[in-house]
Parts: sequence; C-alpha cells; structure tokens
Amino acid sequence: MTVTTEPEALLSHLHKADGSATYSYAGYTVIGAVNGPIEAQKRDELPEEAIIDVVVRPAAGVGGTRERHLESLLQSTLRQIILVNNFPRTLIQIILQITVTPENEYVNGKLVQANVNLPVVPALLQTAILSLLSASLPMTATLTSTCLAIISEDGQRHIVKTPTARQIEQSQSFHVLAFTSQNELILAESEGAFTMKEWDDVYSAAYRQCCTTAATDDADTLMDEGLPTDTDLRRFIRSTVEQKTASDLYWK
Amino acid sequence: MATQAERVFVLPGDEIPASLIPSHPKRALKLGPGLRHMPPSELIPTVAGELVTDHKKNSIWVEYNGGRRPGPEYYYVTITDYNPNAILPQLAFEMATKKTRPQLTHGALVYARVCLANRHMDPELECVSPTTGKADGLGPLVGGMLYDISLGMARRLLMRKSVEEGKVAVLEELGSAGLAFETAVGRNGKLWVNSESVKTVLIVGRAVKETDDDKLGVEQQKKLVRKLIKEMS
Repeated sequence: MTVTTEPEALLSHLHKADGSATYSYAGYTVIGAVNGPIEAQKRDELPEEAIIDVVVRPAAGVGGTRERHLESLLQSTLRQIILVNNFPRTLIQIILQITVTPENEYVNGKLVQANVNLPVVPALLQTAILSLLSASLPMTATLTSTCLAIISEDGQRHIVKTPTARQIEQSQSFHVLAFTSQNELILAESEGAFTMKEWDDVYSAAYRQCCTTAATDDADTLMDEGLPTDTDLRRFIRSTVEQKTASDLYWK
Repeated sequence: MATQAERVFVLPGDEIPASLIPSHPKRALKLGPGLRHMPPSELIPTVAGELVTDHKKNSIWVEYNGGRRPGPEYYYVTITDYNPNAILPQLAFEMATKKTRPQLTHGALVYARVCLANRHMDPELECVSPTTGKADGLGPLVGGMLYDISLGMARRLLMRKSVEEGKVAVLEELGSAGLAFETAVGRNGKLWVNSESVKTVLIVGRAVKETDDDKLGVEQQKKLVRKLIKEMS
C-alpha cells in the first residue's frame, strides 16, 4: 500500500527568516528556513558565486555523518538551480529541520544508523524549494522529487511509488530522483541491487510522476479529471506558491 | 487598465508566452525585477510571482513580495540626546573597505560631518570627504574627554577668526601658555579635548566651560587662563 495522503505545505510562516516553508508528505514533515543573500564568512566566501549552505537537522538527536551526506546531496542539487552567480561573495543558508518521520524509521536504531537516509531526500528537496520560492531567491527552475522502490513479490519485481518505511525495508532497491521544471534529471540516487532495465523503468515512472503537469499547464483551470491518480507534485508546488502570491498581492 | 487582464502567475523557469512580451515599435524593451534574459531572445522568470506587462512603456517584470536587499551597514550615532539617532555608514570613513572598516564599539566618539539633513528622514553622517576621499580630520576620536558647551559657544569656537569675531581667546591663551592639546568642536554643543597629560585636558575643558557659563570677555578669559595655569603648577 502506498501512502495516499496529499502533500501539505505552509509558506512564509517563520517571520524572522527571509523565507520559510513546512512541508508534509509521505509520513515526513520538514520545516525549512532560508536566509540570504547574507554576508559570508571571509574564509568561506567564493569570489564569483554565492555559497549554498545546507543544514539538515534530524528529528531526534544531533546530526551526524548521515546528515552531512544529505546536506552534500542537497547542496550540489540546489546550487545548480539557484542563480549563484548573481550574488558573489555571499551566503545563502538553507536550514531543514525534520520534525516527523514515518513510524518504523528509528525502530532498529543501530541498523538504520549505518544506512544512508535516502527516503527523506524528496521531502527535504521539496521543502528547500518551497522555502527558496518563499524567500524570492532567483532560480533558473523549480524542481520536483520522488522516491521509488522495487519490490519483488512471487518472483515478480514491480515498482512502488512513494513506498512506506516497511516497503523500503523489504525492497530490492530504492531510488530517489529529482527533475527540474524543464524536465531534466537533476538528482538520481539509488541503493540496493538492480539491473539497467529496472533503472530505466524507475526513471520513466519517476518522470511520469514528476513531470506530468507541463503539458496541461496552460489549461490548468479546467483540467481536474484527466490527471493520473498519484499526486501531481509539480501542480502542488505551483498551486501552493500561487496561493501565497495571490495573498501577498491582494492589494492589486 | 489594459495591463490588468494580463497578469499571469509564473514560477522560476516557466516559459513566458510570446503574447505577453511587449513589442513597442520604437522603445527598447525594459526588463524589470525577477526576469533573466538568455541571449539571443529567451526571457525566463527567476522568482515566483505575477508577471506584469506594460505595453505603453514596453516593459515587463515579475511582481512579488519579500526577498532581501543587501544594504550597507550603519553605525547609529547620537547627535543630541533628544534627537533620533543619525546614521553613519560603516564605509563612510577614510580608506574604509568591507575588510578594513573601523571597529567602533558602543559609546565610541566620532567627529563627523552631516551630509544629509532632511526634515522627514534620519540625518546621515560621514567621516570622509566624498570628493577627495580624505578624512580631513574627521573620524573616530580616541581618548581625551568630552565636554558639553552651549551651541553658541560651539559656533564661536568654529569661526574662522574665533578670537576677533567670536571673542574666544581661551584656547589661544592656553596654547601660548605652553600647554599641548588638541580639540574638536561639534556643532551639536560638544567639545572634545585630548592631551598627553590629564591635567591639561581638565584645564582646557574647565577654561572653555567657565568662559561659556560666566560669559567672560576676552580680558577676563586671559585672566582666567593665568589663574588656571598658576593653580596647575
């Protein structure tokens, strides 16, 4: 059974940050705050672009190697879509606090600790994007991200979109993919054993999930029926930010 | 208004329909905030907001709320106790750059010139001449002591010929009596005195304050200076 709940988001709710968002989906809730461009530490600053500093804080305990790894994944993804060249020698800080994780996430603590915490990546990325949009930081594109697992049942392998924690535990392989709003693959992380064919299938399934709205974009007021059953992440981002913009520009 | 109907919500990286890009026969196309031009002819929004087109001005921009504008950082300076603070940009010092700006702590004293005084805005100060980039004696005042004097006295001390026109001779008299000291007079009624010896600082300050308070004439001032020098030795 996949997670059926719709994603939820709250934008610009932290008043001391330049931009913020809380995003909940698939059992995860992440609070994101973005500050920037602010003055960078002298030894950190880059002469021609802004530094993207991503901080991931886990739901319990202090961050460790797993969080540093997530940070590096997010950092390298986000710096490709933020216009870092617009703000040389500055710092853009993105803080992501995980507040809720799916039930059996920390059950057998030691075993999980050794793993990379990939399932949280889509939630972190989406939160980061919403926070960046809320901070009005210039970007070349937005992105959507999803995770998929390949589960074998009765000798048959099939792909599960946004799997539950239990499904991930039983899966043969697990994949996280992110696409920009120009339908380009920007992040692909996998773990487990899989064949090239399986990865191609995963890619096309993720592509369908992340990049479907583009075609129906212009007519998005009248197109509510013909959509695929799973959550349309791109439309979700668009409608969330559109609502916020509409309320910001109420005076028009 | 004609532009009203053309507002469209955009996300970063969205395609802008060609119909929304204004094409004025004569005027050059103007891009406002939130848009990026990718040569040769692509326009891409970089922030989320409403796309607004003004066909008359041949301009297009994205309207949004929020974002941070990196601005200069300021010191807040009290000119008088009863006025709102004036602002002094941290870079308005001689040879100041982001890396070498003066580090002023709370309560530090500066000798500054008012460069912007406007009825409805906070005054703005500078410690550097904007034309030459030289300090001309302005800048942080270190050491010494600050005395409050009347505004009239400050004005008299600042006169080009303070002895003849302003009728204040104390400073000259103290100088010719052999005291070594430096002063800075602010039009806000502050007198700063510095010297190697604390005694000199106190004498100079007292001399000016007494001249001010007791409305001494030039002759009386000379007498006062003689008395103070005598007391000191």
